[in-house]
Amino acid sequence: MNQVVVHPERCVGCMQCMLACATAHSQSGTLFGATLEQPLPKSRIHVGAGRFNEGFPNRCRHCDPAPCQAACLAGAINRVANTGTVMINPDRCINCASCAMACPYGVIRFHEDPLGPPNRQIAVKCDNCSSRVVRGLIPACVEVCKTGTLTWETVDDAMRRKNREVSRAMSSGGPGQPAVPDGVALLKTIKQAELEIGER
Amino acid sequence: MFDPKISLSVTTDGDPLYAKARKDGIETVWERHEAQQPQCGFCDMGLSCRICVMGPCRVDPFGEGPQTGVCGADADIIVARNLCRMIAAGAASHSDHGRDLVEVLAGVAEGSAIGYKIRDEAKLKRVAAEYGITTDGKEVLTIAGELADAMMEDYGMRRKAIQLVDRAPQKRRAVWEKFNLTPRGIDRETSEMMHRTHMGVDNNWVTLLLQGMRNALSDGWGGSMIATEVSDILFGVPAPRPTTVNAGVLKADQVNIVVHGHNPVVSEMVSLACQSKKLLDLAAKKGAKGINLVGVCCTGNELLMRRGIAMAGNHLMTELILSTGAVDMMIVDYQCIMPSIGKVASCYHTKMISTSDKAQFPQMEHIEFHPGNAEKKAAEVVRTAVENFTNRKGTPFIPVEPQAAVGGFSVETILGALGGTPEPLIDAIKAGKIRGAVGIVGCNNPKIKHDYGHVTLTRRLIENDILVVDTGCVSVATAKAGFKLPEAAAMAGPGLQEICKALGIPPVLHMGSCVDNVRILVLVSALADALGVDISDLPVAGSAPEWYSEKAVTIGTYFVASGVTTHLGPMPPITGSMNVVKLLTEGLGDVVGATFAVEPDPEKAAIFLRQTIEDKRKALGLDSRNVA
Amino acid sequence: MKHVIIGNGIAGVSAAEAIRELDAKAAITMIGDETFPPYSRPMISSVLEGSQPHSKLPIRPKGFYNDLSIEPCLGQRATAIDILGHRVVLADGSTVGYDRLLIAAGADPRPVNATGLELQNIFYMRTEAHSAAQVAALPGATKAVVLGGGLVGFKAAYGLLRRGLQVTMLITSGYPLSMQVDPVAGQMIMDEMSRYGLTVEVGVSVTGFTGSGKVAAVETDDGRSLPCDLVIIGKGVLPCRDFIPRGQIAVDLGVVVNEFMQTSAANIYAAGDVAELIDLARGRRWVNALWPEAASQGRVAGYNMAGRQVAYPGSLSRNVMRVFELDVLTLGDANPGDTSGYEIVQSGGPTSNIYRRLVIKENRLIGAVFINEIEQGGILRALIENQVPLRLPATKMVRRGFNFGQLV
Repeated sequence: MNQVVVHPERCVGCMQCMLACATAHSQSGTLFGATLEQPLPKSRIHVGAGRFNEGFPNRCRHCDPAPCQAACLAGAINRVANTGTVMINPDRCINCASCAMACPYGVIRFHEDPLGPPNRQIAVKCDNCSSRVVRGLIPACVEVCKTGTLTWETVDDAMRRKNREVSRAMSSGGPGQPAVPDGVALLKTIKQAELEIGER
Repeated sequence: MFDPKISLSVTTDGDPLYAKARKDGIETVWERHEAQQPQCGFCDMGLSCRICVMGPCRVDPFGEGPQTGVCGADADIIVARNLCRMIAAGAASHSDHGRDLVEVLAGVAEGSAIGYKIRDEAKLKRVAAEYGITTDGKEVLTIAGELADAMMEDYGMRRKAIQLVDRAPQKRRAVWEKFNLTPRGIDRETSEMMHRTHMGVDNNWVTLLLQGMRNALSDGWGGSMIATEVSDILFGVPAPRPTTVNAGVLKADQVNIVVHGHNPVVSEMVSLACQSKKLLDLAAKKGAKGINLVGVCCTGNELLMRRGIAMAGNHLMTELILSTGAVDMMIVDYQCIMPSIGKVASCYHTKMISTSDKAQFPQMEHIEFHPGNAEKKAAEVVRTAVENFTNRKGTPFIPVEPQAAVGGFSVETILGALGGTPEPLIDAIKAGKIRGAVGIVGCNNPKIKHDYGHVTLTRRLIENDILVVDTGCVSVATAKAGFKLPEAAAMAGPGLQEICKALGIPPVLHMGSCVDNVRILVLVSALADALGVDISDLPVAGSAPEWYSEKAVTIGTYFVASGVTTHLGPMPPITGSMNVVKLLTEGLGDVVGATFAVEPDPEKAAIFLRQTIEDKRKALGLDSRNVA
Repeated sequence: MKHVIIGNGIAGVSAAEAIRELDAKAAITMIGDETFPPYSRPMISSVLEGSQPHSKLPIRPKGFYNDLSIEPCLGQRATAIDILGHRVVLADGSTVGYDRLLIAAGADPRPVNATGLELQNIFYMRTEAHSAAQVAALPGATKAVVLGGGLVGFKAAYGLLRRGLQVTMLITSGYPLSMQVDPVAGQMIMDEMSRYGLTVEVGVSVTGFTGSGKVAAVETDDGRSLPCDLVIIGKGVLPCRDFIPRGQIAVDLGVVVNEFMQTSAANIYAAGDVAELIDLARGRRWVNALWPEAASQGRVAGYNMAGRQVAYPGSLSRNVMRVFELDVLTLGDANPGDTSGYEIVQSGGPTSNIYRRLVIKENRLIGAVFINEIEQGGILRALIENQVPLRLPATKMVRRGFNFGQLV
């Protein structure tokens, strides 16, 4: 089963996935149209700053068992059997935020949503772009990611690919880590140094 | 409010004023910087391109996604184009500042710039002579008019080369000729840079970068140099004089007026208005013990250099200075004025005045100054400031006592102090007492702990007998750290200490604002000429440990193109192309005899700069030390 | 195998589901005082405040007992446990035999000692029936008195304020929610409530209620009479332990259980509001009478009763509340009385409308209070529960940009 696999080491923090996600969860389905909607659609994927201000794309892992589901006071969270997607039923959600307290990744947000009930705040999180996937599309965040941080594949394929990359790097580049492009490594070194001297 | 103890600044006033600002609910540059994290990696690496509307485009640095923009430009081209446009913007800013001064000069000649005058006729004549203007028997105002015209022509494209490149050593000019780097017109090079980076023009990243250097040189030996020279003619050549720095220069019992920006055209007139008897009397009537004019940023440096006016702080202090609640008025012109400060001021009684026809800001009152009305407008705004004194809310928070410093080292006064020739300095360098000199320049950047780069690097260099000259925001940082007093010689290595004591100068010389970086070019040219070598042979280097602005990119580039190896603290957005990185950090050595180096850690940068200097000494046949 | 569960709250329901998940055939009997279908007890405060209808309370299908082949024994309480006889005695004298017994009897409202309790419009706040009665009494009510400033009293006061009543809260501690939050957060919460019409009387207790038929005033121990037309008694809860044979089952404040939810008596388990077990933040036994705790404990008890040994590492107090414009999240030991030996890191405060407080002991997070921007709270809960040494400086964890990415 294909799912969104995150390779955080590749994230450059451009936040395109956030724009695409919000657009995919808007009424109009276009970026410009989405910015004019009321309420504004919001992203379900959240690019935060890591310890060295590197990008970190954070989205629902659709855990099994799901702590949010167990904690939901209103019985609004369930799992779709065939896809494994954990979904929040906007009509049952009472916006109590118990799920925020349960989620160990901090990926649930609370707001009025263009696709939810009007004039009411609800818990919102990644739905694996279910409505796109049934139309034969891949999740919006994967579609726009240009660095390969977000991929749509089976976990096995992702693991195999990763192993191949590591072994290739080991055999060609001598000992050490999988090859990170020089420019990326250079920028990362500089950013870490800036932060490190800030703590002196 | 309980914020975890964080130290954002190495200055004594930075942290307490930051705490005050936070207590007052003010959002500062540091919060906004944090809110921007993570910053876009495509942009950070120079790999995003918004030049045309087939795009916007970006190149995947990991090699799997798109490797060219829609037009076909690859990472090298995109990175080079983006960097070159930064250079063009920086050159445009400084050079346009220069043009504004030439307009005042022309206005003085015509009699339309009321209140302005020629303060240094000798310098006017010297510079006019360089432009081939005969001065004998001519009226001063006639010379001024002719010089203004000639300089204006430098902005255009009439000639093969701009005039002041003649100040560079012969060998340097030969390098420029060889690689087609001689700037032909100030505006021309910026225009051409913008043209070349348009889609479908120059798509050779090497020739793009060479034009970038020519564009930068058109600023360094053109627009900026004109700005400095005309400022000296109109307002006087700076000479060493005592001053004070840090937030402590604000006075709880006086009307505090802060000037912010870059151009002395406005601030000089404000400075005169602050001495008006009528306004001083009004201040007294309002219960103030005087009118206290201080500066922040480079317009402050301009006043400090010529009048010894105190400096309250540098770039990252501009918001914090307002949070003292002691500022009755801030008057801004242009460049580096954060659009946030109007909002910051709105938390206090501070009146904010913008003055330039080309720079307006949110939550400021716009009172436009022109050469023709500046004297009158200055009196008006100072009156408003005085009247605002009684509107203060509560007791101002001024957490420190002012730090004494000496500023005002123009090339003329440095050479004057040496007895009219650079020989004593050269002798000291030859003898190894002074190993060399480093010009530390540039800004503040929230990516680097405030003033840590400036202060640490300066300390390490003078400890190792390297004379430091500085400008811009650096000069405020080092003055606040106490390096700008003759007594600071004690902090220098034995050789530098000996020379400083003999000449009665500090080990760190304040050479002015950021356009005044050209004074460093003139100084190194004089040294090179005296030795009969190129600038790139001298044991000197440049550094911008906390730079942020496009102007700094241009300055760094004209330093390197002039033969001065230059260190940068923050990384420019070029890591998307290792070809560009390698050219700038290695390849340029074979072209202009100088390169860039990037190192955020000032301790490591100090070692690099010392090594650079010792290497140059060795090549000159002088003794050279091992740098650990 | 015959399982008997005393209690049909979320602990009992979760236990029954867990047993059924592992064992399709075992007999399960549930003894419950309440006859309403399994419902979300915390949602009764939503019913009081008017944000949710009473009809939304059930969180299991109508046919819950039938679907899971559970024999319901509803409408009466257990009155004793005959340990030697392996049976539970009910109020009507009948008995139910068991092989494995789960005590998930929950808790009852803490009573008040005052005269006039029989008057109308004086309510407790524990069951769906209470909330239905409260809502029925609202028309015409304008002035309410709430006794208690803990979680129950607080939610009662909040619900009544949302309904537009003037509310006076009588508390004995210094500020509402003093068990959950520190004084800074307490002040922010109290200020918010006051903006919407709450009056808090500190150090005042009730001696009696007066009125003819309906409550009309509350008499206080400082000799005052506070006019009101509605009273909610929300002085917390006490575990239902009267029917438990103390000599045979270890009982402290609650029924003491080990990590497998077993009591000191063989084949008898306890879970939920009645159970007392190790508290992860405090490092000692504690009764955390909280709904998500009850759900998790019930589930683990059920697994163990059905024969799959599953350990429950410990309980953790946690709460999230929306208080008008404030979102309040508290975790673990957020307000240790004596702070020596603790590291407290705070950011924000009343003027910034955002507040974060972390309580750290021996480089492990043991408590937290967040006011507003609470979305990352679950990360902190996981840190407390997993008891891992902190790798990120606490000063960074109280910054607004804190996110999961900083921990990897």
